[in-house]
Amino acid sequence: MEIKNISFAYQDKVIRLKNIESNIQKGEITTILGPNGCGKSTLMGVMTNNNRPMQGDVTLQGKSLSSYKPKELARTLGVVHQDNHAPSDMTVEKLVYYGRLPHRTTFTPQSDEDEEKVKWALERTGLYERKDMAIDALSGGQQQRVWIAMALAQDTPYLFLDEPTANLDIYYQYEILELVKQLSEENGLTVVMVLHDINQAIQYSDKIIAMKQGEIIASGDPNEIVTEDLIEKIYGVHVVVKDDEKIGKYIVPIGI
Amino acid sequence: MKKIFSFIIVIILLPVLTIHAAITGSIDISAVELIRGLFTGEDPNVAIIQDLRFPRIIIALFAGAMLSVSGVLLQSVMRNPLAEPGIIGVSSGAGFMTILVLFFFPTLYFYAPLFAFIGGAVAFLLVFSLSWKSGLNPLRMILIGVAVNAVFVSLSQLFSSSGNGVVQAVSVSTSTLSMKTWNDVQIIVLYGTIGLILSIIFYSYCNHLALKDKTLKNLGFNVNRARFIVAAVAVLLASIATAIAGMFTFVGLLIPHIGRALVGTDHKALIPFSALLGACLILLADTLGRTLLAPIEIPASIIMAVIGGPFLIFLLRKSDRIYGN
Repeated sequence: MEIKNISFAYQDKVIRLKNIESNIQKGEITTILGPNGCGKSTLMGVMTNNNRPMQGDVTLQGKSLSSYKPKELARTLGVVHQDNHAPSDMTVEKLVYYGRLPHRTTFTPQSDEDEEKVKWALERTGLYERKDMAIDALSGGQQQRVWIAMALAQDTPYLFLDEPTANLDIYYQYEILELVKQLSEENGLTVVMVLHDINQAIQYSDKIIAMKQGEIIASGDPNEIVTEDLIEKIYGVHVVVKDDEKIGKYIVPIGI
Repeated sequence: MKKIFSFIIVIILLPVLTIHAAITGSIDISAVELIRGLFTGEDPNVAIIQDLRFPRIIIALFAGAMLSVSGVLLQSVMRNPLAEPGIIGVSSGAGFMTILVLFFFPTLYFYAPLFAFIGGAVAFLLVFSLSWKSGLNPLRMILIGVAVNAVFVSLSQLFSSSGNGVVQAVSVSTSTLSMKTWNDVQIIVLYGTIGLILSIIFYSYCNHLALKDKTLKNLGFNVNRARFIVAAVAVLLASIATAIAGMFTFVGLLIPHIGRALVGTDHKALIPFSALLGACLILLADTLGRTLLAPIEIPASIIMAVIGGPFLIFLLRKSDRIYGN
């Protein structure tokens, strides 16, 4: 995916993204980092064709996003948003079946392939035993996995996750991140996600895009770009960057 | 289990109530006499019942089914548990347009359903477009709906109180089902059947609309087309029902909520169940209305609210669920 010279504003005409240039490598995990309101989710919106840029273009597999047909795009990239809603009595399996919408029309019956992919998505996210449970009977971490399972059932080579670990306790956060890592390694999925935790971003990403006020400040291999200066610059927080033989690079915030 | 049980109950209830409605009233006959009379065509009492009571029963059944399903569809399109044709002005828009046209062109009586549909659609579009501001705000939508409804109700009253005979005859603010003819039956059965079949064909759209717009968009689903189709069917059902049977507020709110408590939020079950239960309820209300204090008739809408209100409160208290939240 190529992001070429993107600028974006909502209806209020305030510029949210300025001349964004980047590219997403196939098969990698890319994380967008930055303070609140820096345009992370807005950029993700542009990359998933939810926000139409006022300038520039995003091309996916050599084709501009805006020229994709809606279903065609939905077969190429899946998105898990931050806040989701489903009727509380809907079962896990039914919701995951929605992921098959781009592969069928309203009146075609479910195919064997639909069934197979849904089963795979449920197993992959560890929800198969709970497939007949109602959504609201699940914990927050399990609910988040249901939405990821729905995107997996979409069977797309690209997966976008907007703050997949928000509002989860640390165990579920790592559970989600491990899942993302496995999907990338074992299924060759290309993942783009927005995270808040810098250490998680370093640990799980092949590439980090660091943003501030609608611009990319730095991007590249986390081991190269994450420095005390960079974090100070984008978050205004003093940190110490450590490098440990066993656990790799990590940061410790020490004050503002 | 509760779902199947609920369906069995309404499926038994519907014919029982229909026969009961046919045999009770100022002419009292037994069910056996009625059925024998229908087949032989010789019983004069049955002939009277056929002419006077049957149209009324059929209209009550269809109006109940149509208004209930219209409520289900509007709640799904607007993602609002309070959306209901009587509350947000669809019914009063339909009624007003009918009155307006007949006030100036009484000869167009035959086309009344068409004008009702246009009026209902105008009211719906007004509410929808005025409350749309990068998404539907539920509270703003209801307030605008109430305002639109008030305007149409008042305009209708203005025209019907100063109108000619035809306008007064179709006065939509009343909801008694007396004086209905086989002609009315033809209209409501024709459009009602079309609308109800369409609502069942497109049930999956209603289910999809329970998800957020952006989620659906990312699934490549054409949200606006689905919304347009479901809304058009809802307006058709409510407008025709109002044009023929008059205003029944509350039924489109009451029945879908009872339906969700009993059969769940999946529209595959909810739409047929609401149709059946709505038909039962209005028929029961109408039958009680004309027999309780005979020869005085109590409007069916009043009876319905008296039975339905407490029942809804009971169900909501019990299940703690409103619109699947």
